[in-house]
Amino acid sequence: MKQLLLLIDIDENKIVLVKEISAGYKAQRFLADLGIHEGERIRVTKNDVGPVIVEVKGTRVAIGRGLAIKVKVLLEE
Amino acid sequence: MQNDHIIEHKIVFLGNPNVGKSSLFNLLTGSHQHVGNWPGKTIEKKEGHFILSDEFFSLIDLPGTYSLSARSDEEIVTRKFITEEEPDLVCIISDATRLERTLFLALQTMELTKKIAIFINMTDLAEKIGLYIDNKKLEEQLGVPVLLVSATDDNSVIRIKKFLYDAIHTDKYEFNPAMLLYSTKIELMIQSISRQIEYRSICTEYPTRWLAVKILEGDESVIETLEAEYDLTNVFDKINKLAKSEKLDLNVELSKSKYSILHKIVASSVTGFKDFQESRSDKVDKIILNKFWSYPILIVIYAAFFLITFYASSPIINGIDLGISQFSFIVENWLININSPAILTSLIVNGIIAGIAAVLLFIPIIVIFYSLIAIMEDSGYLARSAFIMDRVMSKFGLQGTAFLSMVMGFGCNVAGIMATRTIKNEKDRISMIITNSFLPCAARLGVIAFLTGIFFEPWLAALLMLTLYGFSIFLVLASSLLFGLFFKKNDPLPLIMELPEYRRPRLRNIYYLTWTRAGIFIKKAGTFIFIASLFIWLMSSIPFGAPPERTIAGYLGRGISYVTEPLLGLDWKMVIPLLFGIPAKEAIISALGILYSTGGSIIEVLKASWSIPQAISFLLFQLTYAPCFAALAAIRSETKSWKLTALGFYYPIIVTIIFTTIVFQILNFVM
Repeated sequence: MKQLLLLIDIDENKIVLVKEISAGYKAQRFLADLGIHEGERIRVTKNDVGPVIVEVKGTRVAIGRGLAIKVKVLLEE
Repeated sequence: MQNDHIIEHKIVFLGNPNVGKSSLFNLLTGSHQHVGNWPGKTIEKKEGHFILSDEFFSLIDLPGTYSLSARSDEEIVTRKFITEEEPDLVCIISDATRLERTLFLALQTMELTKKIAIFINMTDLAEKIGLYIDNKKLEEQLGVPVLLVSATDDNSVIRIKKFLYDAIHTDKYEFNPAMLLYSTKIELMIQSISRQIEYRSICTEYPTRWLAVKILEGDESVIETLEAEYDLTNVFDKINKLAKSEKLDLNVELSKSKYSILHKIVASSVTGFKDFQESRSDKVDKIILNKFWSYPILIVIYAAFFLITFYASSPIINGIDLGISQFSFIVENWLININSPAILTSLIVNGIIAGIAAVLLFIPIIVIFYSLIAIMEDSGYLARSAFIMDRVMSKFGLQGTAFLSMVMGFGCNVAGIMATRTIKNEKDRISMIITNSFLPCAARLGVIAFLTGIFFEPWLAALLMLTLYGFSIFLVLASSLLFGLFFKKNDPLPLIMELPEYRRPRLRNIYYLTWTRAGIFIKKAGTFIFIASLFIWLMSSIPFGAPPERTIAGYLGRGISYVTEPLLGLDWKMVIPLLFGIPAKEAIISALGILYSTGGSIIEVLKASWSIPQAISFLLFQLTYAPCFAALAAIRSETKSWKLTALGFYYPIIVTIIFTTIVFQILNFVM
């Protein structure tokens, strides 16, 4: 069993599988509407300072660091 | 116009942000459009029309939205409109390069109405990156017409018009939206709720299945409306029990299912889609959003933006100014020649012509300002600057989008106040509406540039200008912290923001973006400035023929100066322009011109009559002291509250008096 990581700790250009999002109702909804939900594969395109940017379904979405810490993911090889 | 055409068709445009929805709308309707507000809401409503074969096609451009859940007013307005207004056709605009994401909205809308067509836009860009979309396959699976279009190609316009005509008049197209089947567990729940709805004979304009889906999702707006009339406790108990036993997160489960259905449909109809590859935008972002370079680049871009606005507009402004004064001179001579009464000559020359001049003089700067913003917006940089500034803004309890309303405010506060609509947090939005007038608009830039140029060496003038701008930004941010203490703290929605791809800005988009914003200024501020100019003429001309200090304005100014002179160093002649500047800031310069041009050039007279502390006091005071009437009207219409409008008027005045008094007293003491 691989270990769950936080989105905020993922290096740039890594592809991850979203496992769990433990944010508020509205934030969770918004992310789901943008295609970011449990079971979706996303690629981290930027993660140094400021919001984390991920690629999902061919689009780029910026996620505030406070929210990125609540997204648990599984690293893909 | 509208009455000549008996047949009218109502067509709605719906789509995600940045799919080129407005570009298509503009192409179809051309100049036949107007922007209004939804009744009772501060959401833009763009309407336009075109006429084909003597029939009137009225197009409604709904605000860009990602979904039809009740997250925002936009989304509620959108679904209300679709069900209540019963449009002939709902057109979902989607982006060929981001098909899965942008068709999500189509899937949601298909649960709400049958009359749907899908326009896949940006097919030219998709072709370039090797994407091939089979629209017939999409049509088969979705059950609604799918058109491949491109907003850069005029042929698309003709095809869309023909399609709309045929869709309404012939049976050529089928409108049988495929029914989305969720997982068995969810379907069972939907059926159970649907039965409950039918059993209770709940009657709304919404389809039963859609209501059931929304209840499952926990949609606040739907549940509230239903609960007001029916007792639904049983239904919810059942749902919660089922969800718990099946371990389903209903909040996101249905979106997830829609995406997985969509994924299959898109996969079977699109070839050449490459996921998870570094795109050109990613490469550009490596520099633009770099942790070391993002701020220097941002500063350079915005500095260039302000400098270009200022330097490109000044020759045009000078040209217009010269033309108007020539024209005014000719008219005045002609009026004197035909022996027109002096009061009439004065009304025409100093009232009407001066009023028109005040409006005309600000058009170039506003147009250049907003076309540069449009270039930044269309290229994708504007969204990035909000992203970059998010870190700075969050220190003041604000989100990155608040930065954009501030930028807009530097052109015209009315546009700045309207730009606060993108701020989702209520406290932030109110704070940014009330403090936007702190930011010097183009009119006050004129005063600042003019006066600093007279009183200071160029390098000192530039430094002072920067200080004044910095001070105004400081006031906005500090006020946000202050207001934060008084508003009840609600959990702010964390930053979630889509970053558009970088694109070469298109002339058409820039034209329309500039026109809608500059148009706001020209229409709204235009009337205000013109009326204010006439009012000023009246105040400073009655009794007619009296010297300035014995006119109504003179008495008023002298009365006020009993307080302002010892406190702020503002004597009666300085008070009058500020007084006239309350309705429209453009009046400050023209009032200075009238009051200080007697006995020599205005520059010499001003230099001789103001001390340096007085000049700085004047500059500082006019910078932030009160929103113009057009901005006040905008505050009122955006907040829908007279109390907040009053706050928006008095708060800047109080703050300005306090700060200017401190600065003037210190300067007066040391100099």
